[in-house]
Amino acid sequence: MVKDTIIEVKHMEKRFGSTIALNNVNITINRGQIIGLIGENGSGKSTVTSIISGMQRADSGEMIFRGEKWQPDSMLYALDHGIGMIVQENGTVPGITVAENIFIGEYEKFKSFSAGNGRKWGFIRRRQMMAAAEKVLDNIGVTHIAPEMLTGALDLQDRKLIEIAKIINKNPDVLIVDETTTALSQIGRDIIYKIMNRMKEENKAVIFISHDLDEIIRVCDALTILRDGKIIITFKKDEFDEQLIKTSMIGRELQGDYYRSDYDGSYESEVVLEIKNVQLNNRLKDFNLQLHKGEILGIGGLSHCGMHELGKVLFRSIMPDAGEVLVHGKNIKDEAEAMKQKMGYVAKDRDIESLCLNASIRDNIAIAGLDEFAVNNFLVLPNKESKYVQEQIDSLSIKCTDKDQYVSALSGGNKQKVVFGKWIGRGSEILILDCPTRGVDIGVKQAMYQLMYTMKKAGKSIIIISEEMSELIGMADRLVVMKDGRIMKEFPRSKELCEADIIQYMI
Amino acid sequence: MKKIDVQKQILKIAPVVALLILFAVFYMVGTIKDINVAYGMKAIINQSVVVAIVATGAVFIYTLGSFDISLGASVAVSALLGGIVYNATKSILLMLAVCVGIAVLVALFNSVLASVFNLPVFVTTIAMLSILNAVVLMLISANGTGSQIAVPSEAVAGLDNLGIKVLVLFLFEALCIFVFNFTKIGRKQKFLGSNPVCAKLTGISDKKMSIVAFVMSGIGVGLGAFLCIIYAPTLTKNTATSVGMDVIIAIVFGGMPVSGGARSKITAALIGAFSMTFLSQIMILFNLNLGIGQMVKAAIFLFVVFVATSNQRAKMLPR
Repeated sequence: MVKDTIIEVKHMEKRFGSTIALNNVNITINRGQIIGLIGENGSGKSTVTSIISGMQRADSGEMIFRGEKWQPDSMLYALDHGIGMIVQENGTVPGITVAENIFIGEYEKFKSFSAGNGRKWGFIRRRQMMAAAEKVLDNIGVTHIAPEMLTGALDLQDRKLIEIAKIINKNPDVLIVDETTTALSQIGRDIIYKIMNRMKEENKAVIFISHDLDEIIRVCDALTILRDGKIIITFKKDEFDEQLIKTSMIGRELQGDYYRSDYDGSYESEVVLEIKNVQLNNRLKDFNLQLHKGEILGIGGLSHCGMHELGKVLFRSIMPDAGEVLVHGKNIKDEAEAMKQKMGYVAKDRDIESLCLNASIRDNIAIAGLDEFAVNNFLVLPNKESKYVQEQIDSLSIKCTDKDQYVSALSGGNKQKVVFGKWIGRGSEILILDCPTRGVDIGVKQAMYQLMYTMKKAGKSIIIISEEMSELIGMADRLVVMKDGRIMKEFPRSKELCEADIIQYMI
Repeated sequence: MKKIDVQKQILKIAPVVALLILFAVFYMVGTIKDINVAYGMKAIINQSVVVAIVATGAVFIYTLGSFDISLGASVAVSALLGGIVYNATKSILLMLAVCVGIAVLVALFNSVLASVFNLPVFVTTIAMLSILNAVVLMLISANGTGSQIAVPSEAVAGLDNLGIKVLVLFLFEALCIFVFNFTKIGRKQKFLGSNPVCAKLTGISDKKMSIVAFVMSGIGVGLGAFLCIIYAPTLTKNTATSVGMDVIIAIVFGGMPVSGGARSKITAALIGAFSMTFLSQIMILFNLNLGIGQMVKAAIFLFVVFVATSNQRAKMLPR
């Protein structure tokens, strides 16, 4: 296999106002290589790849792709000419079918008649499009999604899989995977690993961005670390060292504990949240669970085991078919009542369910805390609101230009801090966290774990729903494993507990 | 140092700059053509005030990412019923109360209908448009003399002065700015318009907020109807027919995002209403006929939407 260069980035620079996003970045990627691009949130990873994939342009520098100057003016152009990117955010259109999403921009090829000039006309042959979409999905190993389904009705993972199918169908020479795996369960991850390995075998290249160090160490042939818009170092596979990588990423050694260090899984006997005999389609089956004061309860399982729906049922944003949810013994009927009972909910699909991206940090944090600072529970005074928001920004160290910055301009970790600020600011006593560290770097993860632990010590109760067993083992006082809408096993906090113990009950 | 997004800043001040330019053009052309500019300004305020008030109330609906196509017809029905009540009671206060009350009832009916049937609000307003147009014809044929309902002009002449109109506009504008920017209601409205899914998961009731938005809009429609009677006491089936469309154009022209949400502004309605009237007057000064004037307005409407959404489209298209 020839290891020649497929894409080269030379002296790339990019500024956003006064912020230097990329500072003289040079990267060389060879054919037959999976290169990992890692760094803290806001280090410049997504900026480099967004420029390579045509989403935006660099201020200076040049790119060489397959030996020629590369300057794509759009993602469509880049994809048509050999570079595809699976983006971090939603990359599908919700109001159209799966097949229409896969072939978006290419409907003409399903028209009936040739116009003679390479173009076609007539009605789109829908059945043919559906069959072609099915083939594309099969090609990446996805058989559970019907091409005629409305995309908006699918969950985050399935929408991501459609996006992957759409990109792979164009047979790119370079595939960029930008923090995609955090939205996927193990099955979804396996699909993407297979695709990446297949591309490697076909002498193509993959640029892989992820905050999951274990995953990146396992999958990549080389690792380039970015910090504050600069390339810090590139490690070859035989040079991978987890501690060294972490230190290079954050520019210092991680101080203190990553997860909590104690194995005292005790909590108070008072039940603060209880779910009784809940039935929800086939997602939750006669489900019963109790959360206690000062407890961190971990809930793990495969993506479709019902745990994500459980989070929504607990916060009353999904009404179960039967059963009840009691907060301090009181039945609650909707999200507003849950909030009155000092509950907060951090959704897995952060950009859609937990944040308004086209609103400011101020808007996002203040909206949940109106009851806290509004005068007579009605009047919003700007100075009180500013003070309230600034307190959250300061206490969570949210990196931003100011509180009026749009949330869409923040990195994943800082977005998640805004979500935390939204709920912590209003003094939530019960927090339901669905995949709380999805898409955030290790520095922010550590800060969040420590925050959860501090909250537990202050008598707050937390449910962590996660597909990352290590974080559940690391943080939970009690760990519940779910499968097919039921509790399969419950583990108390223990030093001996390991992932293998849990996984056998998940699958 | 603060990051300054030049494009955003330009878009932010563009509606005010456009209003100032239109005023300057009107003043210059008026002076050159030797018309009475002061008198022209009074006419512009008279024409703008109804659209400005109705549009200001309607901003609450637009903020939710929806729109009400029946506003013009609602103004007409409210004014006709107000006129009928005045003719029966000779009470100006009762006429005002009926105008506002009917408009709020119509608005409430719209939002409750949408809630009950779980339909997009604009769908119910399309149905309401037909119903209200029919009501206008029925009221005129049942209560009017020939094809009109006339309130004696001497009865409202005392109120037909700019001071009262500007005062009503100012008070309503102040109320809306207060509710929109300084209360929980306004914050919730903007958040709901930005992302309804996230708003629901933050405990915001879309039904309650929709009802509040329609009530605020109804108050604006009622006040607009009252001022309509004062300005033109002879009410016909053509009363306020253009108000519905003028409101839409004014709101967009004033810099309100077409999708609503966090960037919505109450003042957009005021700026847009006056800009539109200046534009109409300038076209009259250039002797452009009504048809061409409408086409120019349509072209400007498209241009404004194109420019206002250019940033958003550039971000979305590559996907």
